[in-house]
Amino acid sequence: MITSMGYAQGIIDSVFQIKGVEITADQVFVKEEAGMKQTEVDTVILQEKAIFSLSDVLSENTSVFIKNHGRGALATASFRGTSASHTQVSWNGIRINSPMAGMVDFSLIPVYLIDNLNLKHGSASMSEQGGGLGGSVSIQNSVKWDGSTRIKYLQGIGSYRTYDEFLQLGVGNKKVQLKSRLYHNFSKNDYTFINRGIGSLDPESGRVIHPLDTNDQADYKRFGMLQEIYFRPHSDHLLSLKYWGQSADRTIPRPTSYEGPDNSNLNSQHDLDHRVVTDWHYYRQGGKLLVRSGYSGKQLVYSQKNQVPGLGMISTIFSESRIHSLFNTLSYAMDVSPDFSAEGAAHLNYHKVSSRDTVSKNGYDQQRAEFSLFMAFRRSFADRFNLNLMLRQEWFDRDRAPFSPYLGFDIKLLDGAELVLKGNLARNYHQPALNDLYWQPGGNPDLLPEVGLTAEAGLEYQHIFSGNRLKSELTLFRSDIDNWIIWIPSYKGYWEPTNISKVLSKGMEYSVQLQGEFHKLHYRLAGTYAYTRSVNYGDSQVWGDESYGKQLVYIPLHSGNFMVHISYSKFFITYQHNSYSERYTTSSNDLTRRDWLYPYFMNNLVAGRQFRIKNADFTAELKVFNLFNETYHTILYRPMPGRNYNLVIMMKL
Amino acid sequence: MEDDLLWNLENPDYNQSSKGIFIVNEGNFTYGNASLSYYDIETNEVYQDVFYTTNTLPLGDVAFSMTIRDSIGYIVVNNSGKIYLMDVNTFDYVGKITGLTSPRYMHFISDTKAYVTDLYARYISIVNPVTQEVTGTIDVSNKASGFNQHTTEQMVQHDKYVFTNCWSYDNSILVIDSESDQVVDSIEVLKQPNSMVMDKYHTLWVLSDGGFEGSPYGYEAPGLLKIDAGSRDVEPFHRFKSGDHPSELKINGTGDTLYFLNRHLYRHPVLSTQDPELFIAGPSSGSDYGGFYGLEVDAGSSQIYVADAIDFSQRGVVYCFQADGTPLDTFRVGITPGAFCFKP
Repeated sequence: MITSMGYAQGIIDSVFQIKGVEITADQVFVKEEAGMKQTEVDTVILQEKAIFSLSDVLSENTSVFIKNHGRGALATASFRGTSASHTQVSWNGIRINSPMAGMVDFSLIPVYLIDNLNLKHGSASMSEQGGGLGGSVSIQNSVKWDGSTRIKYLQGIGSYRTYDEFLQLGVGNKKVQLKSRLYHNFSKNDYTFINRGIGSLDPESGRVIHPLDTNDQADYKRFGMLQEIYFRPHSDHLLSLKYWGQSADRTIPRPTSYEGPDNSNLNSQHDLDHRVVTDWHYYRQGGKLLVRSGYSGKQLVYSQKNQVPGLGMISTIFSESRIHSLFNTLSYAMDVSPDFSAEGAAHLNYHKVSSRDTVSKNGYDQQRAEFSLFMAFRRSFADRFNLNLMLRQEWFDRDRAPFSPYLGFDIKLLDGAELVLKGNLARNYHQPALNDLYWQPGGNPDLLPEVGLTAEAGLEYQHIFSGNRLKSELTLFRSDIDNWIIWIPSYKGYWEPTNISKVLSKGMEYSVQLQGEFHKLHYRLAGTYAYTRSVNYGDSQVWGDESYGKQLVYIPLHSGNFMVHISYSKFFITYQHNSYSERYTTSSNDLTRRDWLYPYFMNNLVAGRQFRIKNADFTAELKVFNLFNETYHTILYRPMPGRNYNLVIMMKL
Repeated sequence: MEDDLLWNLENPDYNQSSKGIFIVNEGNFTYGNASLSYYDIETNEVYQDVFYTTNTLPLGDVAFSMTIRDSIGYIVVNNSGKIYLMDVNTFDYVGKITGLTSPRYMHFISDTKAYVTDLYARYISIVNPVTQEVTGTIDVSNKASGFNQHTTEQMVQHDKYVFTNCWSYDNSILVIDSESDQVVDSIEVLKQPNSMVMDKYHTLWVLSDGGFEGSPYGYEAPGLLKIDAGSRDVEPFHRFKSGDHPSELKINGTGDTLYFLNRHLYRHPVLSTQDPELFIAGPSSGSDYGGFYGLEVDAGSSQIYVADAIDFSQRGVVYCFQADGTPLDTFRVGITPGAFCFKP
């Protein structure tokens, strides 16, 4: 998906070199981005969290809420109190949300594969694609046009038998660049915890004793490669081909209260992904053409096995899904005049899904074609006021989706200072995922798309002073989402999705960053805070239903994070904090002690130093997670690890 | 730190010797939020989450059924693979039977022998409730089927024979000789028999939901049929409309009137030749979801307790009626109230 960004960004970034610290002023007043709330995750953060999963970066450095099912387990993202399928995720412009479930498992995306990470909050995501009622996450790989050969190797060793190996090779000249990344990650993940789900009676006191237990059946392994090829035959043309393949295996822990036989209730999941995307960028006077095609293939196997005497290990679930998706984009962006630009894009995507459980023999085979037309007009008035009108129309097979318009504005409030008032009004919608429509049993082909009406307004401020930069943004948002899809048990005896709810999500996001130099100390401070009221206003159809007017489950009212990074000479240290207020697990927001996901405050510390041996640059760092060894939960009864460590050595040639 | 606060409970001292009913709340699959509520029939008071508050021990994941024998309650916790033993007056945790794959129901053969049916194990476990050990198994695997058979559910005993219904992707009632612990017969019924009861004439009534439309196992209209417990002859009785989903077949204490759910509560005198009659309308006739979820009839008073799980993610509601349908009481319980157990 093209964004106006790529085109505009190259021209407008200005770099100040002040005393060796590179302070980049972000452009906060760009007509192509008028009214859009975006977060660019700093490359320093991406480098420092290279061995993490994208879910960790999002929860610790942005206002996105991550629902984490345990270390190494499923992690889904929610913007502004919306559901996981309302977060649209793309890798180099092709969507990587599962067409089956509609969502992305962020635990499967290693950070060392990411060169640029851009988040568009709320309706800003409409510049890339429809359906992002919450927002979008865009993962990009990019090229550096220098002639040197680059080798990078990273080795991580951590608690719970966790190992990371990552090798990056870059070679090329001014015309051709090749970049390869190979990686492997394994964790036995066998931390111990006090198991409150199991109790034995102390024979003397008669009191219940909870045993110290091991988080078994939780190991994970993934390996893969990312290959990029860039070809620049002429300064006007850029061709690229990128391939990302990954295999991931993990076992899914049993309920902590499980006391069945050892060889029973064994759950595992295998994810095999292949993704390819090829781009042709053609830059001409005042315009840019993009032609893009991509393919995404996925095999997902979920199995549950039990030991049956005389028969061996017998599957009670063996669900295998194969997904093939094709993506095509044609877009053109042009400057009509210095104050007026226009953009047009067409997308044609196709998904084919085959899903089958070989035990119950349930499954479905479906395909879906998606066609989308996008037009945008951006106008700047006297360098004071920007208007951004974006229009999107999509078709799903032969069905025309509701029309999605976006109108955003920026107003520069003061002369000589970067203080911008911004806002937008938009209508966006989200098409039901294929599982919602066709899952057997329960899939409901009559589901309507979810429709969101969103208004937001905010202030963005940037100030650069003597080698320091302060940047801050406050956004208020309100989103009315109709036809919200939830799966609940029907009277037929199985789960069914229905357009049951109306959800009103409103709140605020605040972010602040300060970076620069103080004497010889380089520092970077960053924090975000989000207040999210996401409330169910669905019709209360049942007597006694107490969910009306209540906060959605697993959405914290308050969430925030804070990071301090200091480097001095060859040494650096980073402190990272993030916290969530309590989350409800019942639609009626009952707070019982037993089911209380109490607030938690997580602290991590990283310290390291750089050194040089012959021609090689080394960085060694020690990471301490859960610094204060706190007991905490992200979902009910799933234990999280206590204080744990990771030692990472990186070598660069 | 919060965790310690959470688990540092003041445990209430219960001594509920009066007549009451336990409500087994399944909770949500994999959430580990099953709970046990207790309703004192004499004072009409409700006590929530009695197992956890008394013992500082959560009930587990998907509490499925409960049986009482000699003032000990046996609570089958399906996805926790175990049965908790609890004093039914003080709610004190007194033991557990572990090592069960996916237990569903427990049925006593004697003081020292009980059967535990199972969804996935392909055997019925024989347990000794006194030593709290699994002492043997009864093989019920059906290797001839392409589906995971047999899954075993409820148990009803006639003489030495225990009948158990095989619900999931199945259409069988297995007959087990409780002396030899062997399957001795298999009776074919309508697809997916989900519940059964024995009336006073030794007729076994079996309610089948028919599966679901589009099921690879096939689908047929749900139905109610009769099996003579002695001769094991099957006699069809009633077919429902396609798309109906009848469940929770129960019988009153005198063994002459059937009750079951089909979104609403239905009633049927066992000697009647009429179709079952709508007895009490469910709370949510207008919507796709909702409808009663759990049902029990008091063997002594024939009072009816019917549970509504609402959206399955908040505390459910139990309605209590007199045998003639007069409303008696309404009270909140835990999440997904699916089963009841009377304490005499």
